[in-house]
Amino acid sequence: MNRRDIAFVVSALIIAAALAVVPSITVKESVINLLVLVYIYVMMASSWNIIGGIAGQVNLGHAAFFGLGSLVSRILWTKGWPLSVSMILGALVPVAFALIIGAPSFKLRGVYFAIGTLAMAQILFITTRNLFPMISSLPTEALATYSLAPRYYVALGMTLLTVLVVFWLSRSRWGLGMVAVREEANAAESLGVSALQHKLLALCLSAFFAGLAGGVFAYYSAGYYLFFPFFPTWTFDAVMATYIGGTGTVIGPIIGAVFYVLVKEILALRFVELHPFIFGTLFILVVLFLPGGMIQIWSRLRRLFRRAAPAPSEEKAMSESDMVHDRPAVE
Amino acid sequence: MVETLVQNIVFGLLLGALYGLAAVGLSLVFGVTKFLNVAHGELLMLGGYVSFWLFNLYHVDPFVSLPLAALALVVVGIVLYSLLFSRTVKMDEEQKVQTTMLIGFGVSLILQNLAQRLWTADDRSITTAYSRMSWTLFDIRFPIVRVVSMVVALLLVIALQQFLQRSYFGKAIRATVEDWEEATIIGIDTHRVYLVAFVIGAAFAGVAGALVSVGYSIVPSMGLEWTLVCLVVMTLGGLGSIIGTFVGGLILGVAQALTAFAVGGAYRQVVGLLLFLVVLAVRPQGLFGVKEG
Amino acid sequence: MLNVEHINVGYKDLQVLWDVSFQVNQGELVALIGPNGAGKTTTLKAIMGLRRPWSGTIYFEGQNLCKVPAHKTAELGIAMVPEGGRVFTGLTVLENLELGAFAPHARKHMAQTLEEMYQLFPRLEERKFQRAGTLSGGERQMLAIARALMSRPKLLMLDEPSFGLAPLLVDRIFAKIKEINQAGMTILLVEQNVRAALELAHRSYVIQNGRIVGMGTSEELLSFEFVRSAYLG
Ligand SMILES: Nc1ncnc2c1ncn2[C@@H]1O[C@H](COP(=O)(O)OP(=O)(O)O)[C@@H](O)[C@H]1O
Ligand SMILES: [Mg+2]
Repeated sequence: MNRRDIAFVVSALIIAAALAVVPSITVKESVINLLVLVYIYVMMASSWNIIGGIAGQVNLGHAAFFGLGSLVSRILWTKGWPLSVSMILGALVPVAFALIIGAPSFKLRGVYFAIGTLAMAQILFITTRNLFPMISSLPTEALATYSLAPRYYVALGMTLLTVLVVFWLSRSRWGLGMVAVREEANAAESLGVSALQHKLLALCLSAFFAGLAGGVFAYYSAGYYLFFPFFPTWTFDAVMATYIGGTGTVIGPIIGAVFYVLVKEILALRFVELHPFIFGTLFILVVLFLPGGMIQIWSRLRRLFRRAAPAPSEEKAMSESDMVHDRPAVE
Repeated sequence: MVETLVQNIVFGLLLGALYGLAAVGLSLVFGVTKFLNVAHGELLMLGGYVSFWLFNLYHVDPFVSLPLAALALVVVGIVLYSLLFSRTVKMDEEQKVQTTMLIGFGVSLILQNLAQRLWTADDRSITTAYSRMSWTLFDIRFPIVRVVSMVVALLLVIALQQFLQRSYFGKAIRATVEDWEEATIIGIDTHRVYLVAFVIGAAFAGVAGALVSVGYSIVPSMGLEWTLVCLVVMTLGGLGSIIGTFVGGLILGVAQALTAFAVGGAYRQVVGLLLFLVVLAVRPQGLFGVKEG
Repeated sequence: MLNVEHINVGYKDLQVLWDVSFQVNQGELVALIGPNGAGKTTTLKAIMGLRRPWSGTIYFEGQNLCKVPAHKTAELGIAMVPEGGRVFTGLTVLENLELGAFAPHARKHMAQTLEEMYQLFPRLEERKFQRAGTLSGGERQMLAIARALMSRPKLLMLDEPSFGLAPLLVDRIFAKIKEINQAGMTILLVEQNVRAALELAHRSYVIQNGRIVGMGTSEELLSFEFVRSAYLG
């Protein structure tokens, strides 16, 4: 770990610590609820980013992982299993699913992968909607003791875990291999990087953290339709938040998710359901004109600022920038 | 029992014709421009609402308003092409497909949201004086509206095929599909070819939507399901021909009807998606062949 | 008629043509010869508007071609026969020829030009309803030339018409090119087949590594190593 990496980890811990005191300084449930939603979105965007951004395979079936995670955790937990076991299994089942669908679906190139994963997720969505059409409610005694604080801490902890793992991944040999696979599948293959292995690992990690997010959702929600987390909207939200923030970067999806949830909630206060319109427009603009997302604005400004300031040595500039990861999947 | 089965198949064919019509539009656009417009289902939805409102507000017969639905979608198509999709023309193919797919998702969200705000999330459907009439043959019902819709769909598909095959501009389109650079050299404005293909695709979606609003019902959120249907049909039948794609629509319609008959209506969508995945597994390199009419 | 003035052309960040200038006068048959990868095709693409020069200008009958959209170049009277006799293989011979007359001024005379083409290349009439993909290499090259002529151009540009053809066929094609030129057509012939090209051309330019390194008649150009070795070898 170099200085920059330590700085990232330390600031992530400081931010998490700061966020951890929120429940003790506010009694407003709406703030807590909003933050939990932010955390779930950060997990969803960051986990989508592993396969969609870093490894560059646009997966349109992310909701399947989230849905499976929440379904498994919820059912086990409400059956009386310990929460931790339920959530871990809730994260592992999507991984198993990813392993099953991974090998055949990575034979599909580019857009066929995208449509194929969307089709798979839709099949799961329709099937669960038919098999579990009911609302899952907590038992009355559990509802009576329902408390937001532990849910908040679980959500925050899992989010921190997700972000740190994605950060570690982006700095690791595996992460660099994934970027290589994205940039030039054939060249990477000839460099001795097995494209399939890297894509598979990316998909599994992505599934794991999406499943974990599903577990958080299952633990957090008092009552919901069991098929609700399978809605394709979960995928589209994660994709859009990631692109708007900056796909392929570590910070981009986080910023994108925070921005997404906050703007959505603010809009919801004043207008009814206008956010798909706003985000749809923003998403198109990003795809066409700012493929690096909001992060790209930041790095452009920084470069401008650098040029104005006395130029650092080339080597230092390289080690200080995370340009490898700033490269968007779609250029 | 046998009668119900046959009746189901007939209904499947009638709906499948609309699948075919819509998919032919998407497949033409993809074949010519390599744009994967996943907002195709939303264009269809818009066509449905044009027809619905013309009937509800001005009592225009839905079959009379078909050209208007097509025209409205031509306008929408021109706007979408010039504002968004044309910007991807110069990209290499893989990037173009992916970028247009993402743009398409943005567009579909926007259109769906607009439709919901303007026209509410309710199911709508056109009920004319002849809506409930049907012909009966050997105890099998043929609802007039749906039969006429099928004929319209079939005629449009044949017309498109003949246009591509015989007209001068149709030949220019085929030439552009084969080699845009060569086409440019002989003076074909490939931008115009792309625009025309895109707009025809949108118009087909519009007409299909209008027909759906008469024989079935429309709702702002119908887009994704229809887009998927079109992708599935392109895969099933679109390996090189317009007529083949239409037949793919009929096949999907029947497959859905049989599924509904065997395991229940709730799973009718699943069968198409499964077929799609099976075909993808067999031909992972891609399925959408060059359109040659 | 055609004046190429100091053009620099490249792909992305790779410069291919460096300060290239040459001209073709009315009625001339000018050859542009050079080894593989010299930038000959790129030069023709720049003239057609398929590649925009980074700098420099191209004039055709006094008009600045750099300001003309690529698909309008044909309308101005320039036709190009692409490398390797590229034709629309999925279309019939007749459809290929019809499309050759896409430019408005040519479309008016389509039937008449078609007759002329069938006289020039009787083979094409025999095969008019066949898909172009079923033609032999020589026939394709003829179709490509005929398709270009269907636009009734003032300037015909051919990109390596001899490429991949048997010597006998090359002679036939070059005889046709000569015939077309003698009927009054201005021609810019791009070739690697130096000997054949020099025999045919009034004047030739030598291009190497993206630069024009010489101009003159066949004898004058023998001082170039590349030309000499091509002659001897
Ligand atoms: N599409 C392209 N992208 C990048 N480089 C190209 C492209 N086409 C040609 N080049 C390069 O430009 C140079 C000249 O090519 P070209 O004009 O085709 O040569 P010639 O026709 O004389 O054989 C070559 O070095 C070739 O590699
Ligand atoms: Mg060449």
